[in-house]
Amino acid sequence: MVSEPVIRARRLGKSYKNVEALKSLDLEVPSNSIFGFLGPNGAGKTTTIKLLLGLVRPTTGSAEVFGNDIVGDTIGVRRRIGYLPQEPRYYEHMTARETLRFTARFFYKGPSSGIEKRVQETLDLVGLADKADRPIKGFSGGERQRLGIGQAQVNDPDLLILDEPAASLDPMGRRDVLAIMERLRERSTVFYSTHILDDVQRVSDTVAILDLGELVAKAPIGDLLAGSDGIVYTMEVKGDGGAAEKRVESQSWVSKLRVTREAGVARWLVSVTDPAAAESQLLRLLLADEHVAVASFGRRTYELEEVFMNLVEENGDGQR
Amino acid sequence: MASANVPLQAAAGRGWLVGFGNMVDKEYGSWWRTRRGLLHVFLWLLVINGFLFLVGVDEHGGNPYRALNELIQIFFQVGGLFATIGIIVSTQSSVLGERQLGTAEWVLSKPVTREAFLLSKLLVNGVTFIGLAVVIPTVAFFLQTLLHTYLQPSPGPFMLGLALHVEQLVFYLALTLALGAVLSSRGAVSGVAIGLLFAGLILPNFFPSLMTWTPFALPAAGYMVATGRPLSDGAWVPILVTVLWTLLFVLVALWRFDREEL
Repeated sequence: MVSEPVIRARRLGKSYKNVEALKSLDLEVPSNSIFGFLGPNGAGKTTTIKLLLGLVRPTTGSAEVFGNDIVGDTIGVRRRIGYLPQEPRYYEHMTARETLRFTARFFYKGPSSGIEKRVQETLDLVGLADKADRPIKGFSGGERQRLGIGQAQVNDPDLLILDEPAASLDPMGRRDVLAIMERLRERSTVFYSTHILDDVQRVSDTVAILDLGELVAKAPIGDLLAGSDGIVYTMEVKGDGGAAEKRVESQSWVSKLRVTREAGVARWLVSVTDPAAAESQLLRLLLADEHVAVASFGRRTYELEEVFMNLVEENGDGQR
Repeated sequence: MASANVPLQAAAGRGWLVGFGNMVDKEYGSWWRTRRGLLHVFLWLLVINGFLFLVGVDEHGGNPYRALNELIQIFFQVGGLFATIGIIVSTQSSVLGERQLGTAEWVLSKPVTREAFLLSKLLVNGVTFIGLAVVIPTVAFFLQTLLHTYLQPSPGPFMLGLALHVEQLVFYLALTLALGAVLSSRGAVSGVAIGLLFAGLILPNFFPSLMTWTPFALPAAGYMVATGRPLSDGAWVPILVTVLWTLLFVLVALWRFDREEL
C-alpha cells in the first residue's frame, strides 16, 4: 500500500509586493524519505519552508502536512514538525539545556522527569552534553548548529524540516549532520534545503529542484542522475568496430546508437529499452569481434551538479 | 528512578492560547533567571526613592501633614515620569527585537499561537515591571515617609492613586508592544511612546480637551486620589478612556502581529 504523502502542495504560491517568490508549486513528499530541496539563492526554498510552517501566508494555492491544512490548522502541523532555520537564533541568556527544555515543553506537558530525560538524550545525540549548562552566547557556529538540530528533533518529529542544515559547518560537522539525518530517516521524513550537492547525492532519496520560484525537476535521485535521455550505456572502443556496430544496432533492445571518435578511440552511447539484456549481452557482442578492444563500459550517470546546472540554466534562459 | 520511565504526555491543547504557559515561563525567566530583575530593583529604588532623599522636603513650619502631601506628590510625579519611560525603554525591543533577531521565527515554528507569544509579553512585562517599579518603591516610600514625617499615607486612597499610576504604565506598555508589532525601528518605537509622554506635559496647555481623551490627566488624578482629595465630576472619563485605549492597542498589536510575515 502506498502511504499518503507527508507534504502535499497544490499550486502553492507566494508574492511579496510585485515579486513572485514562489510560483504555483505542486509537490508531494513521500513518507520516510530524505527529500532534498535544491535551488540557487532566491529560488524560493526558504519561502516554501516558511509557508509550510505557517510563518508566512500563501498568496495562492494550498498545502497540507500530514493532511492538516497549513493555514487552517497550523498548530496541528507544527506539533508534528521539527524545524531548523537557516540561521538559527535562540535566547542568548539561556543555556543549551534550557533551550531544549523550553522547546520540549511546547510539545509535552510532562512529566518533568521525562522531559529532562529527553533533553539529556538530545544533548548526547548532538554532542553538547559537556556544554549543556553554558549560556548560548558563548557557543561557536558549529555548536549553535548542533543545538539547532537538537531542538528540531527534541519532540521526535514525524517530519524534520531543515533549512540549509550544513551550510555553516566544517566537513566533520557536515558528516555528523548527515549521519543524524540518516538515523532519523528510520522514524521520520526529512525535508531539507541545501546548496551542497554532494550531501544531496549522498543521503537523499528524492530531490526537487527549484529555480526562480518554479519547480524545474522532481524525481528519485537515481532517476535524476540517470538523466532524461533514458537508459544509456557508454563504452570506449578501440580498433575497427564497424561490424560490431551493425551487430549491436540490429538488437531489438537497442533503440539508438551514437558513435563519436576522438584520438583513435570511439565513444559509443547505446540507448536501450531493456537494461538486463544490455548488461548480459552488450559487452559480448563487441568482444565477439577480435579487432575490437573495450577500454571502458558502464551505464551512463550524471553528477548531480551537472543535472542541477543544466536544469537551472535551461530554466533561466530568457528569465534572468 | 521510576518516574523517569513514565512516558511523555503530548501537549494536545487547542485554541488561541496554545503555548501560553511555556511562553510566560520563558518571559519570566528573562527577568529572573538573569540579573535583569535585580538590576531593576536597584534602579527603581535609586531613581524613585533616592530622588525623594535628594530633593529634601520643606518641613512646612513643622506641619507634617503638608510635608507628607508634598512627598506623595513628588513620589507620583517622579514615579509617573521615570517609571513610564522605564517601561517603554525596557519593552521597546520585546516584540520588535524578536522580529528582527529571528527568535520570533524560531519560537513560532513550534506549536504556540501568536496571541500566546504577544500576550505573555504583556502579562509578564506588565506584572514584573509594576512589581519592580511600583510595588517595591511604594514599600520603601512608606518607610521614607515615616522617617521624614513620622506619618504614613492613608493606605486606601494611596492604593487607589497607585491604581491610576499603574493604569498609565499599562497604557504605555500596550502602546509600546503595539508599536513594536507595527514599526520596524527601535528608535521609532521608543520615540513615539516617549514623545507621547512628553506631549502630555505640554500639549494640554494649548488643547485642554486632550486631558479628557488621553491618559495625560492620570498622574495628577493619581496624586489627588492618593492624598484623599475629591476628583472633579468628569475625572472618570480619562480613566475609562485610557482603559479603552489600552484595549485598543492590545487588539492592534494582536491583529498586526497575526499578519506578520516572519
